Amino acid sequence: MQKTKTLCRLLLFFLMLCLLSGCWDREELEDKAYVIGLGLDRSKDKDKIKITMLLANPEVGSMQGGGGSTEKPREIISFDANDFIAAKATANSIISRNISYELLRIFVVSEEFARDSSFSTTFTDVLKDKEIRLNSYIAVSKEKASQYFMNNKPRMETRPHKYFQFMVSHGIENGLIPDSNLFRYFQTAERGSDLFLAMYTTAKRQKDPEIKREDEYTAGELNATGELDDTQFIGSAVFKSGVMFATLTGQETRTINILDDTTDIKDILVNIPDPFSDNKKQFAARVMKTKNNKIKMNLKGITPKIFITIPLQIEIMSNPSMVNFAKQKNQHIIKKHIANHFEKGNIKLLKKTQTELKGIPYPLPVYSKKYFATIQEYKKFNWVKAYPRADIHVKVDITMVDYGNRTRNAKRLGE
Amino acid sequence: MKQQSAKIGVREYVSIAVLMVGTKATEDTPANLYSQVQNAAWMIPLLSAGFFFIPLYLLIKTMSLYEGKDLFSVIKKILGKYLGFMVCLVIFIINSFAVSFDTRTYTNIIRSFYFTTTPTLIIYAILMFICAYGAKKGLQHIGSVSYLIVFYAVVSLYVALWLGTKHANINSMFPLWGPGAFVLVKEGAQKVTIFADFFLLTMVLPYLKSNKAFKKGTWFSYIYICIQISMSILIFVCMFDESLGGTAYPFHTLIRYISLGHYIPNVEIIFFIIWIMAAFIRFTAFLYINALMFGNLFKIKDFEYLIPSLATIYLMVGFIPEAPINVSLQFKPIIWSTAGPMFAGISILLWLVALIRGEFKHAKNKNIM
Repeated sequence: MQKTKTLCRLLLFFLMLCLLSGCWDREELEDKAYVIGLGLDRSKDKDKIKITMLLANPEVGSMQGGGGSTEKPREIISFDANDFIAAKATANSIISRNISYELLRIFVVSEEFARDSSFSTTFTDVLKDKEIRLNSYIAVSKEKASQYFMNNKPRMETRPHKYFQFMVSHGIENGLIPDSNLFRYFQTAERGSDLFLAMYTTAKRQKDPEIKREDEYTAGELNATGELDDTQFIGSAVFKSGVMFATLTGQETRTINILDDTTDIKDILVNIPDPFSDNKKQFAARVMKTKNNKIKMNLKGITPKIFITIPLQIEIMSNPSMVNFAKQKNQHIIKKHIANHFEKGNIKLLKKTQTELKGIPYPLPVYSKKYFATIQEYKKFNWVKAYPRADIHVKVDITMVDYGNRTRNAKRLGE
Repeated sequence: MKQQSAKIGVREYVSIAVLMVGTKATEDTPANLYSQVQNAAWMIPLLSAGFFFIPLYLLIKTMSLYEGKDLFSVIKKILGKYLGFMVCLVIFIINSFAVSFDTRTYTNIIRSFYFTTTPTLIIYAILMFICAYGAKKGLQHIGSVSYLIVFYAVVSLYVALWLGTKHANINSMFPLWGPGAFVLVKEGAQKVTIFADFFLLTMVLPYLKSNKAFKKGTWFSYIYICIQISMSILIFVCMFDESLGGTAYPFHTLIRYISLGHYIPNVEIIFFIIWIMAAFIRFTAFLYINALMFGNLFKIKDFEYLIPSLATIYLMVGFIPEAPINVSLQFKPIIWSTAGPMFAGISILLWLVALIRGEFKHAKNKNIM
């Protein structure tokens, strides 16, 4: 009796052990090819799309494969397909391993396709494939996505997943590109009251770009020379109900990112015109935003009124006109000047969103919800129609962290 | 069976209740509520708890007349042999369907998020097998296992929700009244099913150390769970905003979205393991209670031997819906709209009959003597 009992338990134990391997969903790391980036283009065939897969070689750069491996770090394939879910199977006629979207970091959509009205229906498939995570990013490339991946040859970061991870997260921290993940894309599309911003990128440098201020470029316009990769991530593409229709420069994107409390910007380095200099010099400053904006609205009447207060912390990094900031008067002037500078920038951009874009590119309407008692009232207000005629006031609250690390002027030679 | 004589304490009882009812926030309940009342969905658990409070209070009051008797014995005592039997049978049948479709829902979640190529039947069979095994071990084992994992389950839920709040905007909870106060009250009354499990938990009263422990445990877990469910839904609403309407299982979408910094991006497996343990306990307790009911109905003393066959029947019933969408749109709403109001009705009926028959006076007189 005791023996059979033990035997039964042992059998049960082994049965459990078999179950632990995960039945049908057993996966071998060796057997997988991980797609890191997925490019989407319009196809020559009308009903189809062109898919570009950027596959990473997991062996490169890992501890074991460090020196000897002669394999390339990546592989790129492009072909026409109906959608990007079934395309996994088609790709297997070229790739030996099982294609997986589990580590998919970034979707690159060509501008041409993103502006197409069929884009949003094609892209909704993302929600159907459970391998795709909602925290992967969506970017719009100026050129065709298939060319983008081919031209994108990062020199320092040969492993593609690291490259995109670093590029995107530092871009977001600097505020030059929006935090455009799929979760936000669908949230905005579902809400329907505001616009969505996707990061704007290109791997083709413009010929003879003009020189602008540090953040006024869009992708491809920065005139960089040297031994470098041509890819640039700056600025944003504006989407209305899931389809792209306009672009914003890096500066405008930055302003939106400062307005938007839901993005994760860190400290931003900017140049601000120096009020003490007559020949248009600029000083460098570090802008930090640690507190949320205060938003007040008055939505009764024909013109809705919106009051936004933005708290910013400023640290002055350079002092081209050699002003003595120990004086109270100078401190006062610079503080006022910085606040003015930011207010002007914000108002200019918000005017642009009201007249050109006819929509707000960050979830401002959500803040108005508390002024309504029921959903019916909120729907009746109709943000899309009301926003262009709204009266928006922006106030910037400046807290100075530091006026630069010198309190006294440096002596000039010969003085 | 030796275990039957052993009794469970308040902490085990509370853990079972928390795992049984509290897990509702992690399945399709939030999406279900959101589709009715949009952003005011978080108020429904509070309202329902308020509505179900009266029946539950009356039921416990009635039960206290019969020290150490379970729900079915009390029903039979109050309503008589035949009517009582019918009422008990109806409760048992509704509960059986509820278990079937709930287990199917969990199977769907596991299949669509974690084991995408495994056949539904295999996952379902494994789930049922584990629950049946656990249930056969008896209430004391269920109690101690739930006490072991309840802490992890609750903490992991809070950690997941806390990570979710980083992507949430509190303003999404407005407009405060959602589709209007009247709709809210109506929905709140209908959705008392969320707390119907407390009605069923009165079945295990004889296995508790005392009536007082039962009362204390019930009220504590009742208040706690209503806050927990409401808070979870509030965070889902704030995070998903209007896209919650299209998200069938928000908890699982959430744990796939959140990450622990840049270096640990995919953390859902940690939460999944704890969640599935809680799910096992939930259905283990359900199966045990159902077997208890069946045993009581047909006077079967060693009801624990029924559990494997009951589990098999539930598996077969739960397998009737062809696809996940049928479960949540066709079969579950029937249970949702009947179980809660019916159980509330039975509770009030029991109290009324007891009152009319003067049972409360008897008890008082007895106490005085």
